Amino acid sequence: MATYTRSNAWNNGGTFINTDLLWYAKGVQAMQALPLDNLNSWWSFAALHGEYITDPSFPGWGYLPSPPATPTTPQPPQSIQDKYWNQCQHQSWYFLPWHRGYLIALEAQIRAAVKAAGGPSDWALPYWNYFGTNESSIPPAFTATTLPDGSPNPLFVKARYGPLGNGNIFVPIPPVSQSVMSNDLFTGSDTKTAKPGFGGPKTGFNHGRGLNGNLESNPHNQVHGAVGGSLPNGTYGLMSDPGIAALDPIFYLHHCNIDRMWAVWNQAGNKNSTDPAWLNGPAASGQREFVMPLPTNSSWVYIPSQMDSLSKVDYTYDTLPALAPAVNMLSQRLNRLGAVAAAANVKEEEPVDHGAEEELLGANEGALPIKGASAATIVKLAARVRAKVIASLAAPSEAAPPDRVYLYLENVRGTQDAVSLNVYINLPKGTNPLGHPELLAGTVGLFGLRLASRTDKGHSGDGLDFNLEITDIVDTLHLRNEFNTDSIHVTILPQPPVPDSGEVTVGRVSIYREGSK
Amino acid sequence: MTYEAREFARVRYSVLLLTAATWVLLIAQPYGMAGHAHLHAGNSAAAQMQAAGWALMLVAMMAPLLIPSIQYVRQRSFKHRRARAVALFVAGYAASWMAAGAVVLAIETTVKLLVPMSFLPAAGVALIAVVWQFSPIKQRALNRCHLHTELAAFGATADLAVLRFGLTHGVWCVVSCWALMLFPMLLPSGRLAAMAVVAFLVFSERLDRPMPPSWRFRGLASVKRMVVARARIQSTDPRTGSHA
Repeated sequence: MATYTRSNAWNNGGTFINTDLLWYAKGVQAMQALPLDNLNSWWSFAALHGEYITDPSFPGWGYLPSPPATPTTPQPPQSIQDKYWNQCQHQSWYFLPWHRGYLIALEAQIRAAVKAAGGPSDWALPYWNYFGTNESSIPPAFTATTLPDGSPNPLFVKARYGPLGNGNIFVPIPPVSQSVMSNDLFTGSDTKTAKPGFGGPKTGFNHGRGLNGNLESNPHNQVHGAVGGSLPNGTYGLMSDPGIAALDPIFYLHHCNIDRMWAVWNQAGNKNSTDPAWLNGPAASGQREFVMPLPTNSSWVYIPSQMDSLSKVDYTYDTLPALAPAVNMLSQRLNRLGAVAAAANVKEEEPVDHGAEEELLGANEGALPIKGASAATIVKLAARVRAKVIASLAAPSEAAPPDRVYLYLENVRGTQDAVSLNVYINLPKGTNPLGHPELLAGTVGLFGLRLASRTDKGHSGDGLDFNLEITDIVDTLHLRNEFNTDSIHVTILPQPPVPDSGEVTVGRVSIYREGSK
Repeated sequence: MTYEAREFARVRYSVLLLTAATWVLLIAQPYGMAGHAHLHAGNSAAAQMQAAGWALMLVAMMAPLLIPSIQYVRQRSFKHRRARAVALFVAGYAASWMAAGAVVLAIETTVKLLVPMSFLPAAGVALIAVVWQFSPIKQRALNRCHLHTELAAFGATADLAVLRFGLTHGVWCVVSCWALMLFPMLLPSGRLAAMAVVAFLVFSERLDRPMPPSWRFRGLASVKRMVVARARIQSTDPRTGSHA
């Protein structure tokens, strides 16, 4: 039996009758009473994830709405900042293990404060399972302005605007989904897993650039953007940007749910990476280590192999439900493409990436700026690569599976982290997109956009990359003899629209095929 | 093995093989290609030898740094254009360094004429290199060396895009490493050993992720971290994560 059990924040109606939440509030209060240069403070923990402390305008920490009254001084020495701050791992296969360690370190701080106040010595963070029945709204304890004793509620923050920008905080389902739970590969792709895999792409220490992992993209990123939300003036809520997100106490309950999803995924028999580069972490290759301050004023260095099961860290969740068996996508596709005999021969395989080749199939020309409520571009296809795709779709078998096709948004840069992009393929002009769900390639959230676009905050300025699998749409086009075309029209509908003061630019829109030849 | 891992391994091993072969060539002919040719003003053969030596030095010292960018160019290009795209990227990168080399070699020639067999000019440049190494400009340039910008896919626009990417990548590499590269050129002896040390340093500092520009010690931190982290992993029980 694990020492610490994390439970549902919606227990007891998600109010302060749920003592997990009441003690959390008291712990947050104690951490917020410490100054910025104290590594055990709420502020330093937020900076450990990411920070804009000295920025001269929003989202500079001196320009955020109160509460919380976010300090910008006194700062710890540069060497301490270099060691601890700006550590969060995103667009990376380290996303899950780094955040598991981060949660454990935060809990140690809160638990110390809870114990000092006479609370339970086994206190653990509750999780917000927005996929639970009637639990897509934020637990009410986070929207109350006062605690039961009448003192200000530290779980309440002003800059939390929600998906409609009106202060109603909920997670829109869909587009947020847990369909990623049908993946069976941590990194890579197979018949049940789209690139780059459940846990994210192989990277070094990665504080935000490149391609999002499947779980990170949806639900993680989209929940951040929806909860934080934005205002028409282009500013956004704390949760929308990794440089301010961990100032909002709901951050840790969201990440607790992401961590729970990882645990459920493992419980179902899915394996984490066994690559030594993942197990040993980036420090083994000479990059930054994962390090957290402990309440005892010591530091804790950890690596992914210490985080890859809940039992190793002495934690569990109140429930770890079994997953429904995933549908075999290959047999479904073979049937759709008319290869019925081949579909019958498909057997359940061990999850393994067969190393199918990925090859550029087409791209648009020039960067695509996104302003207002929509943007469109044309992706020109290379005839010789398109011919390969058509050949594979025309004569598929279980031994030579039909190509898969992905749409990429490359080098996405800008300042609007709360925006989600709804991406449509060949949407007829003037039609209501809601009437064409079959043309929706998918939705991506831009959490981390601003930081990844900068060149002065420890980033090179590449921006973010996103991929959406469009195999089903291409299959349909192929069956209608409409894929033998020179170009594909891509329409991007931002939600909310990008204000004039804001900026989002897609460096290149491209399409790749993934196939065995 | 994923496709990305296989592709990355292919690029890495090809580049490392080329690098190793270049070092062998440099070691085998230290007084010919590596730049200790007898220099006379106006002697074009000597100048060509100097330029060839500089080019070899670049391959030996800088090629390993290009592995991620070459991989990136391949990944973002049509399969039938990959070789051409990589060639243009490398040509752009080399053009930046060869232009810088014209200045470096002119300084080398002048110094050797004015103060032959003196260690003083190299010592002076070493001092400048140390100050440059710890400066915010160095970090700014290093950060740009990690930039992978978007690339056009079709036709002449695609060719120009990779060429421009190579050129700008090269320019930031020059800004980052000019003093470190000048230092061995001014040494009257021990040039190969100095080159090896500088190559190790520039490889090590490139392992670090981008950082906010500021005055700080930088260069070998990644090596130190690697040693410490591997020692810690050796002493850790992989099942429990606790230290033995």
